[in-house]
Amino acid sequence: MDRSKIKRRLAKDKLMLWGICLLAALTAVPLLAILGEVLLRGYHQLSWAFFTEPTPTAYKAMKAFEAGEPIPGGIANGIVGTMIMLGMAVIVAVPLGVLCGACLAENSKNRFALFVSYLTDLLQGTPSVIIGIITYIWVVVPMKGYSAIAGSVALCIMMVPLIVRSTEETLKILPASLKEVGLALGGNKARVMMRVQLPAAFGGIFTGILLAVSRVIGETAPLMFTALGCSLIRFSVDKPISAVPLLIWEFFNDPNLQELIWGASLFLLLFVLALNLTAKYLAKKWNQ
Amino acid sequence: MKQIFSSIMTLAVAIAMASCGGNAKNGAREAQELSGAGATFPLPFYNVVFENFAQVNGDIVAYGGVGSGGGVRNLRDKVVDFAGSDAFLTDKEMAEMEPVVHVPTCMGAVVVAYNLDGVKELKLTGEVVADIFAGKIRMWNDERLTALNPGVALPAEAIIPVFRSDGSGTTFIFTDYLAKVSPMWKEKFGAGKSVNFPSGQAAKGNPGVAGVISQTKNSIGYVGSEYAFAQKIPYAIIQNAIGEFVLPTAESISAAAAGTIPADTRTSITNADAAGAYPISAFTWIIIYKEQNYSGRSKEQAEATLDLLQYILSDEVQNITSEVHYAPLPAKAKELSMENLKAVTYDGVAILQ
Amino acid sequence: MNDKLYRIILFVAALIVPIVCGGVVYALVTDAYDAFEHFGFLNFLTSSQWSYTAGNEQYGALPFITGTLMTALLALVFCIPFSLPVALFVGEYFRGTKVASVLSTVTDLLAGIPSIIYGLWGFFTLRPILMALDISPQGSGVLTASLVLAIMIIPYVASLSAEFIKMVPNDLKEGAYSLGATRAEVIRKIIFPVAGSGIFSSYVLAIGRALGETMTVTMLIGNTNNIPDSIQSTGNSMASIIANQFGEADDLRLSSLIAIGLVLFLITALINIIGKIMIKRARIV
Repeated sequence: MDRSKIKRRLAKDKLMLWGICLLAALTAVPLLAILGEVLLRGYHQLSWAFFTEPTPTAYKAMKAFEAGEPIPGGIANGIVGTMIMLGMAVIVAVPLGVLCGACLAENSKNRFALFVSYLTDLLQGTPSVIIGIITYIWVVVPMKGYSAIAGSVALCIMMVPLIVRSTEETLKILPASLKEVGLALGGNKARVMMRVQLPAAFGGIFTGILLAVSRVIGETAPLMFTALGCSLIRFSVDKPISAVPLLIWEFFNDPNLQELIWGASLFLLLFVLALNLTAKYLAKKWNQ
Repeated sequence: MKQIFSSIMTLAVAIAMASCGGNAKNGAREAQELSGAGATFPLPFYNVVFENFAQVNGDIVAYGGVGSGGGVRNLRDKVVDFAGSDAFLTDKEMAEMEPVVHVPTCMGAVVVAYNLDGVKELKLTGEVVADIFAGKIRMWNDERLTALNPGVALPAEAIIPVFRSDGSGTTFIFTDYLAKVSPMWKEKFGAGKSVNFPSGQAAKGNPGVAGVISQTKNSIGYVGSEYAFAQKIPYAIIQNAIGEFVLPTAESISAAAAGTIPADTRTSITNADAAGAYPISAFTWIIIYKEQNYSGRSKEQAEATLDLLQYILSDEVQNITSEVHYAPLPAKAKELSMENLKAVTYDGVAILQ
Repeated sequence: MNDKLYRIILFVAALIVPIVCGGVVYALVTDAYDAFEHFGFLNFLTSSQWSYTAGNEQYGALPFITGTLMTALLALVFCIPFSLPVALFVGEYFRGTKVASVLSTVTDLLAGIPSIIYGLWGFFTLRPILMALDISPQGSGVLTASLVLAIMIIPYVASLSAEFIKMVPNDLKEGAYSLGATRAEVIRKIIFPVAGSGIFSSYVLAIGRALGETMTVTMLIGNTNNIPDSIQSTGNSMASIIANQFGEADDLRLSSLIAIGLVLFLITALINIIGKIMIKRARIV
């Protein structure tokens, strides 16, 4: 083997290393670019009024825009709507998802459980816009109107498979001895699940719930067909309601309101990233 | 469940009203919450009107700017008290629904807005506009454009038409005009709330189109006049039916309604052959059911709906139209509408005496 | 609580998933039936007409199927040169180090950004750049949408592929090193052949993601109902036409949109199942 060939091979190896480092580093660019843009254009909008006042009407925004004044109002209607719909969705999705995940973990060899497991993947991969259509057919049409309930049903359908998956996986990696000791001490399966397995898996399940919430909080398409949006701060669940991502979509489509878009996006982005980081931190802590 | 919540809601509204220091002047009935949906074209005007109405009458009106197509669908599904539409219902659409009443609320113009560096004034004829949107005139320095605009430096760049991605009364007004002035347009594309434009790019709602135009060099699009005014986007001077080049103003829009108006007010006033008329002018309507007892609506709600419409037709409201870049209704249209409202019933009994 | 009752409760809870899935298919099929019956199933899929002229309504899904496939495949092409290095970085070169965990946090955060914010960024930042560079005259279009889609799927593909790269047995790699192979050669000759099917399946799953992405595409693709004739031209994807027109459509158009939804659902379901089966196989090996 001659020297130049070895040199070439070593050079290739080095080139590859640098290439990979460079390209991998480049993927951080969009994150920084998006964070930077939203932060720079949005931070000065965050004020008390921004979180406590509803969105202005097109007329008020237009007048303010023409006069060159800052747009009055905020996104309180969206924040309230997001919280209401998310709250309702979590209340239903968490128990359902955890029980379903427990069933899959307990019966991992069972045919029915395998089937359900496949369908969970399927549901998780279903585009959110289709969840919107389905909720429209199931809830909006029979109720004869858009509502917060419909919006939360859509969010719930999207959260369930995520929670099922995380619960199932967390329970499966618990040491089998845990369950065996519980059973040997005379507990029945239900007691062992409630008193031993679920508490032991709590960290993982909680992380999963946080991630599920962060995943659906930014969903826009399904809410367009279900919650519709509303410019009032509303607490009723059978009426159209707004949500932060819906407001961003509204602002995107209205140049008079466009100034508000960055503040709203910053709020949503910080919320989602905070949830993500918390989940990651908890997962790490729980793993130790 | 639904009823419990709506009664809680009404209670909340009542409390809010009471705490507003007796703003509710309507002694005859309780304050109502009305909901409507539809056109974005008159949205800023409706915002002002509904806010004033809430102060004068105590009734709250929630209006969603979902586009004329969406508004009419919501009315057909009977989930709203009224629909806003820039296009009157066709005979076919009317035949598929229970009887409705059209009430014009104001007049407006669709402007042809553009984004061209350094071009302050652009003159266009109807046929040229049709050919641009049909993709036949592709470049800004096309000789038909330069012939109309001597001395204007039009760039050698491709024209980017911008249009609506949703069903829209604005699209109807615009294509109705194009179909009247261009046989080619009538045959190939026709007039409607949604038309298959062959090239360019689409955006949602009037404001969305205004936004894309202001963000895209060398683009041209059609929007409700107030959105172009507010965004300070320049718009073209259009040649009308008698050959004058006219800018959209309250006067030139009003001039378009000089002709006769049918009893049900369903009429198109585009390409009007009156002197000084802006050719892409139109009425915008609120559409309600003739029989107001549907989907469990109360008589009070029906009364509130009619109060609202009468309020809109009043001189007090019509005078503020031009303030928000619209034009007031001609007297004839107001008279006809008042007459039409008398035919509106609740359980078969006329609501207005 | 006895064991039997406990089992029953668990199974009833698990039933929710099949019920929802069945309901999805049932509702989509019944509501799409009108469109299929009116135009014929095959004709609906292959017609490129989307015209709502009253009295002569013509609805076909071809422009949207084309738009969807174009954006998704293009996004895949754009994402490979970044997702593969990230996967190698995290799964091989700097495996288990602090740098790797920073990079995977970055990609996790990238995955967490809501799609509407990706859309905003694409519209207000990327689009003007493309216009200034004269790459695309109107800025919006298939190309713009797929560039942003690519960024969105990088984290997903990278973390999945890294998992498979990590699973390559150490003794295989060590054997190659002891024979004098460089790291680049180990990656090419050992890691790719062994982890290849797993890496491939992560790309398949990523396509499933890209196909159904709604808001980003709606904000960037230009929303015209034509078959895109080049990657710069505007179009509509299946998800974006639904987002654009579902709110106002009725009768035949509504049914046609739901039919498009059904087609989209079936395509994504198929791709997901194929991907999952491939992953299961790859894990066993």
